[in-house]
Amino acid sequence: MQSFSIFPFEPPGDVQALRQEVRAFIAAHMPQTAAAGRANCWSVADARFSRSMGEAGYIGMVWPKCYGGHARHPLERYTVLEELLAAGAPVAMHWVADRQSGPLILRYGSEELRQRIVPGIARGETYFCIGMSEPGTGSDLASVRTQGVRTKEGWRINGQKVWTSGAHYSQYMIALVRTGEGSERHGGLTQFLIDMSSPGITVRPILDLVGAHHFNEVFLDDVLVPDSMRLGEEGGGWAQVTAELSLERSGPERYLSSYVLLVEFIRQAGPAPDAATRALIGQFTAELWTLRQMSRSTAAKLAAGQDPMLEAAVVKDLGNSFEQSLPRRILAGIGGLADLSDASELMSVLALLLQISPSFSLRGGTREILRGIIARGLGLR
Amino acid sequence: MMGETQQLLRETADRLFRDLAEERTLDFVRLWQKLDETGFRSLLVAEADGGFGGNFRDVAAVLRLAGQHALAAPLAEAMIATYLLHKAGWPVSDDLVTLAAGSEGRLEGNLFSGTLRAVPWGERAGLVLAEVEGGLILLPRDKATQVTTTANPAGEPRTRLVFANVPALVAPATGDLLLLGAFSRSCLIAGALDGALARSIEYANSRVQFGKPIGKFQAVQQALAVFAEEAAAVNCAAEAAALALDRGDGRFEVACAKIRASSAAAMGVATAHQVHGAIGFTAELGLHHLTRRLTSWSGEFGNERWWAEELGGLVAALGADQLWPEITRRG
Repeated sequence: MQSFSIFPFEPPGDVQALRQEVRAFIAAHMPQTAAAGRANCWSVADARFSRSMGEAGYIGMVWPKCYGGHARHPLERYTVLEELLAAGAPVAMHWVADRQSGPLILRYGSEELRQRIVPGIARGETYFCIGMSEPGTGSDLASVRTQGVRTKEGWRINGQKVWTSGAHYSQYMIALVRTGEGSERHGGLTQFLIDMSSPGITVRPILDLVGAHHFNEVFLDDVLVPDSMRLGEEGGGWAQVTAELSLERSGPERYLSSYVLLVEFIRQAGPAPDAATRALIGQFTAELWTLRQMSRSTAAKLAAGQDPMLEAAVVKDLGNSFEQSLPRRILAGIGGLADLSDASELMSVLALLLQISPSFSLRGGTREILRGIIARGLGLR
Repeated sequence: MMGETQQLLRETADRLFRDLAEERTLDFVRLWQKLDETGFRSLLVAEADGGFGGNFRDVAAVLRLAGQHALAAPLAEAMIATYLLHKAGWPVSDDLVTLAAGSEGRLEGNLFSGTLRAVPWGERAGLVLAEVEGGLILLPRDKATQVTTTANPAGEPRTRLVFANVPALVAPATGDLLLLGAFSRSCLIAGALDGALARSIEYANSRVQFGKPIGKFQAVQQALAVFAEEAAAVNCAAEAAALALDRGDGRFEVACAKIRASSAAAMGVATAHQVHGAIGFTAELGLHHLTRRLTSWSGEFGNERWWAEELGGLVAALGADQLWPEITRRG
């Protein structure tokens, strides 16, 4: 038994040239912000930046050209993403659409849907939110109760979604809905593409603990959805969302959310810090480097058509633990007189991350759920 | 080496190390004979020079297996020493050649006076390779004036050798000895973590308490999941370090791997014993062959703190905005 083996990360073409190209793009288009504005940057929305990414061909990179994509290799896309995340670029606006909604429509949507919707995503103009969680449905996704009933024209949907990031700026939601009458658990679930401007949809903001607006609750009251907006087979929703969730687990966003803090810590430490600070920087670097190797290897397995579900769960849990622990460990490294109300670059990004980092091991599958997946893979469940 | 030969190499190593793990009372001379017959020590030596023509990835694979089976022999040391002897252009003998992880002393011309510390199986070795201020030196062990052998936490012999004005072969210092020593320990830890993890899973699935295997309890499952994550991280790091060494410069990567391996080793030891309960603490069960080695290896050739200071110093000197370019440049 070997718990993890490396899969070669070999995108076609000159990767270093691609990196330089992305770095030049970032230098030209990314708005100047304080370090705190670059932390957790895949939650920072900026429509103008998303449109310029679309223009540069950095959204829908792997999709066919006939849908506005760029027919690039998945590992070229990975390379672009890690550059953007390391730089702290505001990529939230199109993130969900690029990562999971676009691929889902291309895979399960009708030709008409693909033609109509996917090119807008690739231009950085069409945004998506994920309609999975509900008031009674968090980790236990199979308990979804939002209901879809067949009508003559399509479906009438009633229910409530919650923790819906970006619902207030997204044109579409992909919702997991119970369509099988009397169905329970994994059966009878179907995914729908829902136009957020449909009558019957109400979006209410939920402010997070620092007062920021990412989350929403979304009410669906007799929302009529044509059958042509159904994604995949009726009743096939569960298999689709589990595949979708494992896609979103091993990306570079799972360990880089606090990277900007590490950079500011090293800056503050200067070129010749004391031994304790050097040791701390060395430990962080070793963990970061290892996670990157693991994440790249997992991405390469995915790109080669393998299904590294277990590796993806490992990368996400370790990555989240790293990005979550970084603020606390850096605070300890700064020492007892650290002033979290100080407006300096370092202290303001540290103060922000100390507050929001608990969410890193919740979003996209909690730590406990991931460890359950790993335990199953180990043959314990 | 071709893919098929590599597969054969792994299979041979796996079989031999497994056999040796079942014969722990075997006399060291016999054990070393069996090991050395394989020619593993010349794994990194070119085929033209009578070696395997292997690379660091092959070394990583063999040492992983040595770690997994808790091999009680200085195979890594002999492999690295033989490689460095060839690199220095020095003659190679059939004697056991080992490495000094630590040293102090002075070199005057080719005369060495000083102490080599914690030399694995130093008493059994014919030759000892060390890096001292001023160079890489090769010393005949029988010229030591004091030979004191103690044991590391795994019970493996570690010898302190004192030399006074002993002629040595001298080559320029490169830092390779410590680096490759640390690399070897990272690979051994990777294998030993996988070995201890596999044993822990097996035990958790068979040990019944409260009417069911303890592996059915979420508390145990979550602990073993974290153990698996740590083992995965070290296996990935060690392999990536091997790839970097094969590319020609692994200083950054080996530092990362040794830091990651050393911290994971401590966690793995704790979890393996926690899952096994009292039985894991017995001499008889043999879990300790793995866990005591994990403890030893995590400290040898630079512990976590030592490499973290090294690496942190390097990163700080590069500057905050150069960390990402450096990491991505290195692949």
